[in-house]
Amino acid sequence: MSPQVMVTLPHILRPKAGNRAQVPVAGQTVRELIDALDQDFPGIRFHLCYETGELRPFVNVFVNREHIRYLQGLDTPVPEGAKIYILQSVAGG
Amino acid sequence: MTQHTAYAPGTTVLLVGTKRGLFLCSSRDRAKWNIEPTGLQGQPVFYAIVDQRDNCRLFAAENTEIFGSFIHYSDDFGQTWQKPERGIQFSPESGEKLVNIWVIEAGRSSEPDVVYAGIDPASLWVSTDRGCTWEPNTAMLSHPTRERWDPGNGGLCLHTIIPDISNADRMWVGISAVGCLRTDDGGQNWVFANKNTRASFLPTMYPEFGQCIHRLVQHPTQPEVLYQQNHCGIYKSNNAGEDWVDIQQNLPSEFGFPIALDSHHPETVFVVVEGEGRHNIDGQFTVYRTTNAGEQWEQLTNGLPSGPAVRLGVLRHGMCADTHDPCGVYVGTKTGQLFASRDRGDSWEMIADFLPPIYSVKAAVLD
Repeated sequence: MSPQVMVTLPHILRPKAGNRAQVPVAGQTVRELIDALDQDFPGIRFHLCYETGELRPFVNVFVNREHIRYLQGLDTPVPEGAKIYILQSVAGG
Repeated sequence: MTQHTAYAPGTTVLLVGTKRGLFLCSSRDRAKWNIEPTGLQGQPVFYAIVDQRDNCRLFAAENTEIFGSFIHYSDDFGQTWQKPERGIQFSPESGEKLVNIWVIEAGRSSEPDVVYAGIDPASLWVSTDRGCTWEPNTAMLSHPTRERWDPGNGGLCLHTIIPDISNADRMWVGISAVGCLRTDDGGQNWVFANKNTRASFLPTMYPEFGQCIHRLVQHPTQPEVLYQQNHCGIYKSNNAGEDWVDIQQNLPSEFGFPIALDSHHPETVFVVVEGEGRHNIDGQFTVYRTTNAGEQWEQLTNGLPSGPAVRLGVLRHGMCADTHDPCGVYVGTKTGQLFASRDRGDSWEMIADFLPPIYSVKAAVLD
């Protein structure tokens, strides 16, 4: 059974999730969490990832405060009860 | 055709795409302008059009800085927007990824449900259901030279689409820095149309492809006639792009981005050429006009800023003309100024000085 976690969404994507800041999602890895999010909120994956599968460059995912860039990327395992944060970089101008 | 009710017939509408959203300017007399934000705010909108073929559906290309690029459409002049059921998005198997949506153009009057879009990575996308679903043109994606296409500074962008008004099978596109391509068979095959246009930055001055075309327009009554503004020159073709003639003449620079045409007097063409800093040459912001199809150009400066610190630049989609006679000409700058002329450029007025950097200006005169 895949772990159930709470995912905190960035403000700009909350309208896609019924204006909720946090949503419960199940998945063994971050990639599976994104797949599950896309099942529940169709189209949300394209906001987070390119068609080729990789995360968009200014989209950051944290598993319990650790950036997945320094873990196993989208294949980072998701522990039961973990707090997942999807945040946008402070970038642009 | 269903009539819209938002604006009186004859109203001139400008859609102004900016770094921070889409704005709509409207005027009954082109003297007094109402400027409003649309419902698309906060993110870059590269381009937007009013499709006047059926109740003025608006289309906009939003390229968010973080969370992807999307086409939106609106049936209430921009107050509310919808995304397509199936938007511009490559299949996972394609190996391609959408970078930016650069341009949207309505199809011909003979194809009322067709809308076209150009994107980076350079490809043409087509909707045959008024923007609800989109598919790529596969012939362009599999062009035999595609692996040798190199991007311009702004990306490998298909930024101009010209559906031939006289021939439903013929179309031209402009791609930076690949050049002009033409199809004569409804998009099944694409040939280069770059003969005699320079690529001064390449080892070969006149290559088959690799030119940095900036913008292209078609003569409204002589469909074989095209004008282009290129990184390396201003050109005219009298034979559908088979070859091109340099019409820089007395213009002070070969470099510029936008080009626009007076649809009632199509030998009248407008450009904004620039210096090395990609802004006005010397201290006078200038629009240039030819009234004899490029034999001679005149400077239009009446009402345009002048001074030692004036540095205004205009991007490729930042100028357009409306379809009134005398035509209106509209120029939006990279620093957020919007200039309008209602007398073919003889005189100008700054109608906004407070917008975000302007990416595109597109005019429509409503029926």
